[in-house]
Amino acid sequence: MVGLKQPMIRSLRILPILLALPAAGAGELAFNKDVRPVLSKTCFTCHGPDAAAVKGKLRLDLRDLALKGGESGKPAIVPGKPEESEIIRRIRSTDPDDVMPPPEAHMTFTSRDVEVLTQWIREGAVYEGHWAFQTPAKAPVPDIPSAGEHPVDRFVAARLAAEKLGFSPEADRRTLIRRVFHDLTGLPPSPAEVRAFLEDTSPNAYESMVERLISSPRFGENFAVAWLDASRYADTNGYSIDGGRHQWLWRDWVIKSFNDNQPYDRFLIDQLAGDLLPGATEQQIVATGFNRNHAITHEGGTIPEENLVNYAADRVKTASEAFLGLTMACAQCHDHKYDPISQRDYYRFFAFFNTLDDAGLDGNAGQNARPSIKASSCLATATEAETVRRELEAARTALAAPLPEAQQRWDADRRADLANRGRGFSLVPLEVLSATAPNGSPDRIRIGEDHTVSIAGGDFSAYNVLMRLPAAGPPLRGIRVVFSATPASKGKLGFGSAKGLEGNFHLGTITSSVSTFAAGNVDLNAILPITRLSASSVQPGHDVWNVLNSDPLVGWAPRTGAAGPEHLTLTFEAPLQSSATPYLTTELLFNFGANTSPASFRIFGFVGEDDGARDPEDITAILLTEAATRTPEQAAALQAYFQRIAPEKAADRSRVDNLQERLSMLTAKHPVLVMNTSAKPRKTHILDRGVYSSPKEEVSPGSPEALPPLSLDPSFDKASGSFKDRPANRLDLALWMVRPDHPLTSRVAINRIWEHFFGRGLSASSADFGSQGQWPSHPELLDWLATDFREKGWDRKHLIRMILTSRTYRQSSDASPELLKRDPRNELLARGPRFRLSAEQVRDQALFVAGLLAERLGGPSVKPYQPGDLWRQVSHYGSSPATSQTFVQDHGEKLHRRSLYTYWKRTLPPVNLSVFDAPNREICSIGRTSTNTPLQALVTLNDTQFVEAARSLAATVLLASHPSDAERLRAAFEAVTSRLPVPDEAAILDAALKRERNRYQADPAAAGELLSIGETPRPPSIPAVEHAAWTQVAATLLNLSETITRR
Amino acid sequence: MNPLVFSRRAFLGKAANGLGHVALSSMLLPALARAASGTQPDAADMAAFRSIAPKAKRVIYLFQSGGPSHVDLFDGKDALEKLHGSNLPDSVRGGQRVTGMTSGQSSFPVVRPIAPGKRCGPAGVWISDLLPYTQKIAGEICVIRSMHTEAINHDPAITLINTGSMQLGNASAGAWVSYGLGTENANLPAYMVLISQGTGKNPDQPIFSRLWGSGFLPSQHQGVILRAGADPVLYLDNPPGVSREQRRAQLDDLEKLNQRFADEVGDPETLARIHGYEMAFRMQASVPELTDLSGESQETFELYGPESRKPGTYASNCLLARRLAERGVRFIQLFHRGWDQHIAITRQLPNQCRDTDQPSAALITDLKRRGLLEDTLVLWGGEFGRTVYSQGALGSAVAGRDHHGRCFSIWMAGAGIKGGSAVGETDDFCWNITKDPFHIRDLNATMLNQLGIDHHRLTYPYRGLDQKLTGVEPAKLIAPALA
Repeated sequence: MVGLKQPMIRSLRILPILLALPAAGAGELAFNKDVRPVLSKTCFTCHGPDAAAVKGKLRLDLRDLALKGGESGKPAIVPGKPEESEIIRRIRSTDPDDVMPPPEAHMTFTSRDVEVLTQWIREGAVYEGHWAFQTPAKAPVPDIPSAGEHPVDRFVAARLAAEKLGFSPEADRRTLIRRVFHDLTGLPPSPAEVRAFLEDTSPNAYESMVERLISSPRFGENFAVAWLDASRYADTNGYSIDGGRHQWLWRDWVIKSFNDNQPYDRFLIDQLAGDLLPGATEQQIVATGFNRNHAITHEGGTIPEENLVNYAADRVKTASEAFLGLTMACAQCHDHKYDPISQRDYYRFFAFFNTLDDAGLDGNAGQNARPSIKASSCLATATEAETVRRELEAARTALAAPLPEAQQRWDADRRADLANRGRGFSLVPLEVLSATAPNGSPDRIRIGEDHTVSIAGGDFSAYNVLMRLPAAGPPLRGIRVVFSATPASKGKLGFGSAKGLEGNFHLGTITSSVSTFAAGNVDLNAILPITRLSASSVQPGHDVWNVLNSDPLVGWAPRTGAAGPEHLTLTFEAPLQSSATPYLTTELLFNFGANTSPASFRIFGFVGEDDGARDPEDITAILLTEAATRTPEQAAALQAYFQRIAPEKAADRSRVDNLQERLSMLTAKHPVLVMNTSAKPRKTHILDRGVYSSPKEEVSPGSPEALPPLSLDPSFDKASGSFKDRPANRLDLALWMVRPDHPLTSRVAINRIWEHFFGRGLSASSADFGSQGQWPSHPELLDWLATDFREKGWDRKHLIRMILTSRTYRQSSDASPELLKRDPRNELLARGPRFRLSAEQVRDQALFVAGLLAERLGGPSVKPYQPGDLWRQVSHYGSSPATSQTFVQDHGEKLHRRSLYTYWKRTLPPVNLSVFDAPNREICSIGRTSTNTPLQALVTLNDTQFVEAARSLAATVLLASHPSDAERLRAAFEAVTSRLPVPDEAAILDAALKRERNRYQADPAAAGELLSIGETPRPPSIPAVEHAAWTQVAATLLNLSETITRR
Repeated sequence: MNPLVFSRRAFLGKAANGLGHVALSSMLLPALARAASGTQPDAADMAAFRSIAPKAKRVIYLFQSGGPSHVDLFDGKDALEKLHGSNLPDSVRGGQRVTGMTSGQSSFPVVRPIAPGKRCGPAGVWISDLLPYTQKIAGEICVIRSMHTEAINHDPAITLINTGSMQLGNASAGAWVSYGLGTENANLPAYMVLISQGTGKNPDQPIFSRLWGSGFLPSQHQGVILRAGADPVLYLDNPPGVSREQRRAQLDDLEKLNQRFADEVGDPETLARIHGYEMAFRMQASVPELTDLSGESQETFELYGPESRKPGTYASNCLLARRLAERGVRFIQLFHRGWDQHIAITRQLPNQCRDTDQPSAALITDLKRRGLLEDTLVLWGGEFGRTVYSQGALGSAVAGRDHHGRCFSIWMAGAGIKGGSAVGETDDFCWNITKDPFHIRDLNATMLNQLGIDHHRLTYPYRGLDQKLTGVEPAKLIAPALA
């Protein structure tokens, strides 16, 4: 066993090289394929396009200059004569002072590199322009009739023939339909769809399936994801504070563009320059959000001018990588080391993206950074709005439906609680040791002699109060915070100025922890649970229980206008033992930025039972009235109140909330960051070393010199690269990118589409088509497709149909050990593509097969399950008015939307997605790596989202009318894998089912625990033991490697 | 024989018998899958960059987030007593850009250290009396007073020091080390991160996953957060109602089913996945064992101080760092927040010091007595220093210090570091470096060097460049700090 490993590693290291390069000496070398990579990697750093970095006055990227030689005066290259070429002498030299590259460069030539250069010079040292900078053309389709008519297959077959390989057989139909479903919609087929496909014997069964899926709205959702990565879409501003923004309208636009099969050239133009189009539509302006998806900061102290440079630089980086496959960012500080892009080219490109009305510090308090507009979602339809209105109506009716039994129980509980309140109650003074606010001046927060904390006005947010618990006496049951007016607040309780809260305060959150030492801050790892809350009064809309929600914008306020002291009382789950933990720290968070601090407060401990009522005064009064003697109005008020707070109504309440939000998405306008052009645009200068404060020469917008000129218009001056009568703008740039002779745009576009289906592009470096990029595996095919794509009107769905109908795509992905060894990365395409599902697909598939997926197209982002409040532990919570500093989970259908709608916080992206290689979206990211780690196993085994999915899948199977366990197992297996189990598999699962059944029969409580995971209600008709056992089997199925592999 | 068919038992037998440095990957084993996906360097690349005799097997990075004041903690000098209250001369300030927080100030009064200090250790390094425990380990540490950075605000500065670049998207130092060296313990991630909040300022500047992220490196190299309390690694615990025995049986089923699939279709990724599930199962045991401090002696808790018994504190995290080091975790990074003393430095800074001083020193002592210090590199430091001048009126209770990047102090200890020494000097104003300046890239080069890695050669191809932790500017070793 062990002995086998080493040779395998060795052969794998060498094989890809053998594949890529014919042995030197065998056949003529091609410059771009064989020679340029060697020169680029090893020589161009000092002898390439970066004029400032050229050493010894020698350049090797241009033939004339290489033949002329550098300051030594000797020709570096003598065509046909390697032995007279200085370059060969120097790289073969063993003298450390003479050898190239020099030792301090920490680069080496392999012996193969030397052979390649020698042979190339012997063959005449022919240079070619970099392949990707030449306009692509259609080479003749290879004449291999056995490969069929399909051009893709002909090109692939030609390469296979050269390698003495052939196509693999077509994948079986179950595998094929699953592959196409995953590739086009991101979801697996249902068993019914599988069966329909198996039974469809028509000759175009496959083609019609493709057609159906390509027209599905799920298509756009699936394809949008890679573009969201490339465009660094996120729901927060990034950098350090990472507050929230509103940008989902732009994501809606992307989904629709894919679904409508918007031609790629229009897709590009709208995003780069939609605002500059004559008669631009609202949606064309929304599309320009592409250039505003970058991170934005409002960190105090950062320098606005520097931030603005960073933002524009990010637009350059993203536009050049995403549309052109060019790493222009390399030229921000100096000429590009490998590609013919000068620093001047860079800043001329930069100038296109530097003319908007944006601010260097912006985006605080959940407000979009300027420029931002309000617009409608392009996915909103009147039909859905009508449906949602009806659903909302029904949901409100359901919410209003009385729950007499539950209410009676509640009524009795509350009455008992009221009867018990105040029993043995007495307040215990606490000694305040410190009271601080993170950005608050200590001289504005005073601790009085009676341990009252008073605030001299101002607008701080979180107050941490450290107290010493009394050493003697009974354990404290909880604390009471008493708020009072002071002279500083002119006799009011607080400094509030917001409507309805004038002269009041607003307590967003209160958290406490105890400690063995004097901790000035609440320990977020050990927040004391609270079991009972009461307030002396409540301002309508600011209910007392809001203080338990970490969202600082939702909180409690006493009745506005109350002059006397008001108080809030918290009962802890466990009494405080001062002998073990003598210190108590309480954090009170008031709504920052809205002047809602109180004038003063004093914290007491208490023993006995809280003497306050849990509900507002009017409700308490009703509760204290015997049920029989309540008036109809009282009964109605009580019922309405109960509906509003009853745990039994939680699902109905979230349904109403979610539908209301959806209706707003469908009918109202919402903010989105966009591009515009300032009346006084900033000037762009070349920045020395890329530093914002070192401007050099001013430049005008223009395209890189090595690429075609920006315009063919007579008013365009080729020499200066500018129009004679006006500065070039983003629209000129966009039109330039899609001109027919542009060498990069169509290649880059089709390469990424190819990558979607094959796991790697025809050029594997899909974000870098420069000289450091990878030589394509099938260059003629790449160019043929790029040309055809443009000729067919940049039709993305046409290209996708072409790929999917090829024999190349339809091959089985099964690989013999020999083939795997020969071509581990499947560059030759002698088999079908196989790779792990993406992060989003892994989660979406689980929701789908469980019947949980809430399919709604577009809309605001959602916050499904996430363990703990990870955000609060690392964020600026309590220190600034930025939003999204604390995680508040959604409920109802928002737990089960497709993953592309999951709220994307850049500094802490959704963990169950990032574990599966989703990028953090801080910068443009093209092509995800696919890793395979234990953390992934922990997610699919233990994440609430997946446990709940297993439980729901089990319920689906158990509720269907299958006659036997065997049938049920087959159904579950097919739902998850799209195939039927073989007898071995069925036997393993059957044994597992029996084992799990025994386990839960022996411990029914454990079954109950497992079934309580996740908020989706469980059908009560299923016996718990049976349901739990099947949940375990379903979890096994969801964790099969096959399940998360697209093959 | 089909080379893809090898049983889990054989596989694990091998894994359990000491992976040593041959264990190329922390997270997956089959070479085939790894080579095909490029998530770990291959043997030839590894030989090229591991060309230096390693002094350290692992790193413990005690990162002090926010910008600890070098003026007050490690770089105090007599001259400041005389200069106290005088305006910082323009000639010294040298046109340095100042953050937006003090650029509007009309005067820049010099403030002496807020507490006295002592000359400690053989080299007589000045260490503040706010750090009495650190004073006692002065013989073990090398204080570098001449670090510098271009960044003057938190986000760029903390990104630069943790990822080698102010730009977004780069890999953190820990991810680089995980990529380059993998793990010594297949049952734990190679790079683990522990977070704590100081009592000096709450909440202080945010921190974020970029600082321990994998950037362009494969995501398996990102730091894994070890949290306080239940579920110390996210998703670690089985769901309620699922026992460990049940999970074992379930994984046995999965292994059989997955093995059958791998054999049938020839899929090395699935073999790697089988292994991943086994490692997950073992992590479920090894992490609770790691975080269970009940076997630590009373004396040990006393060494680290009273807070070490409280999960989630810096002290507790220091103790955990030692346990992680004992278990062969390659890169252990603590992030302790709260060092951003713009205001009320006289109140805030002593609190920060009280949080960190005893536990940091205890970690050194504890590592040393257990024989771990000799092959563990320990680093203590933040993203920049603080201004010698007062932010706010001189002497006011609310006065503090602004950010300062031209010089700041860190310390290193352990593997191959010259204990009891100091490197670099600054001028009388703790403003400009007068001797032996070192940039962050020099620090990173030195860290890699101690791990036996040639920083020039540990590269990863991305966007047309062979990316390096030390970036494109020349980096040098902090030679005076090396024994």
